[in-house]
Amino acid sequence: MSGTMCSSNSVVQTQKLVDQLRLEASMERIRISLTAADLIQYCKDHRRSDPLLTGIAASSNPFKDKKTCTLL
Amino acid sequence: MCKHYLYSILCISTSLCFKPFRCRSLPAQRKYMRSPPIPEMATQEVQLSETLAHLKTESDTLKGKLEEERAKLHDVELHQVAEKVEGLGQFVMKTRRTLKGHGNKVLCMDWCKDKRRIVSSSQDGKVIVWDAFTTNKEHAVTMPCTWVMACAYAPSGCAVACGGLDNKCSVYPLSLDKNENLAAKKKSVAMHTNYLSACSFTNSDMQVRLSRMGEDTCSSFVTALHHFFDLTELFKVFRHVLHDFMSLQGCDKKANVWDMRSGQCIQSFETHESDINSVRYYPSGDAFASGSDDATCRLYDLRADREVAIYSKESIIFGVSSVDFSLSGRLLFGGYNDYTINVWDVLKGTRVSILFGHENRVSTLRVSPDGTAFCTGSWDHTLRTWA
Repeated sequence: MSGTMCSSNSVVQTQKLVDQLRLEASMERIRISLTAADLIQYCKDHRRSDPLLTGIAASSNPFKDKKTCTLL
Repeated sequence: MCKHYLYSILCISTSLCFKPFRCRSLPAQRKYMRSPPIPEMATQEVQLSETLAHLKTESDTLKGKLEEERAKLHDVELHQVAEKVEGLGQFVMKTRRTLKGHGNKVLCMDWCKDKRRIVSSSQDGKVIVWDAFTTNKEHAVTMPCTWVMACAYAPSGCAVACGGLDNKCSVYPLSLDKNENLAAKKKSVAMHTNYLSACSFTNSDMQVRLSRMGEDTCSSFVTALHHFFDLTELFKVFRHVLHDFMSLQGCDKKANVWDMRSGQCIQSFETHESDINSVRYYPSGDAFASGSDDATCRLYDLRADREVAIYSKESIIFGVSSVDFSLSGRLLFGGYNDYTINVWDVLKGTRVSILFGHENRVSTLRVSPDGTAFCTGSWDHTLRTWA
């Protein structure tokens, strides 16, 4: 009896796995040449608004040290 | 690990299926016994094992088909397409602030939306809210347990959520009145079993998403803060959420993408050679990066449904604990167990910079909401902001 229970559990599990794989197999995929171009375009579009990339001036970055002031 | 669990069930059940049924009885009673139901049980078991074998064949076929489909789209490498992109210059990034105050390993940190405050949690059981500009501590809460593994800042900046081995997620409202006892005002959600591995607020202060580590699965649920009841147990696992309905999960060597509306895992990637410690969406949401104990970071494209880049070097042999993208997605920051931070050019696949400073492994890394800096937490008890 317990043998049957275990096998029916494993059947259920394997069925779930097969269903999952069927779902994944039916997905529509796009070629890398196209998706990569999109990733690159996104980087280019947002390049200027990325302070860590372009390095904004020390005066506007609160974390960077400001230039010291000299007393005249 | 999930796969092994399934196979071990198969093995156990197979051995039980074919073990002959033995009936023990005294010789004198035998002729009065009902005939043992051997034939029916055996037929049932045989049927089940046949179904099992059939399903297994189908799953293997499907897996093969998936591999084929994915390979078909692999017409070019990301770094080849990126050859025409201009290279990055020299980067000068260094520690700008060091936040000292924790008494033990820093396990997790999060930025406030005001781009200035940080919440961090540590093995010493403390959750501290810092002003990252001045390095002042604004609030400190002592949790009743050690190993506070997860913490998050509410979108309004008025509360923090944290939890860990206490099997609870506690939410503390932050008060400007220093005399107020924060611990008294906390609200908790019990996880019932297993510890809290990650938490994050949804777009409102009213809901917190939590992940708890289970044996083979992790589960998460949304809780309305004001009422404190479990709405529904949604679905399995996540360590990072970008949109309201999609979520990423790093579970052992697999990275999964879940649709929270249907509760379905819609994509799964298994190319890492060791456990994944961190997953983070690319800013556009069309890809994500993962960091793993196999010392590599990888980029997965969701629309091509495959891995498109590996960020690794022979000289890097220690695992990655935490990854995050810069705002444009061009840079990927990785915190490593060899105490360093490696900065990668996402498109070209090369390392741009290596940053030193921490005196023990980097356990958590997050870029600030406006992208002006990133913060790391480490087992050396400190947090550092870099810019």
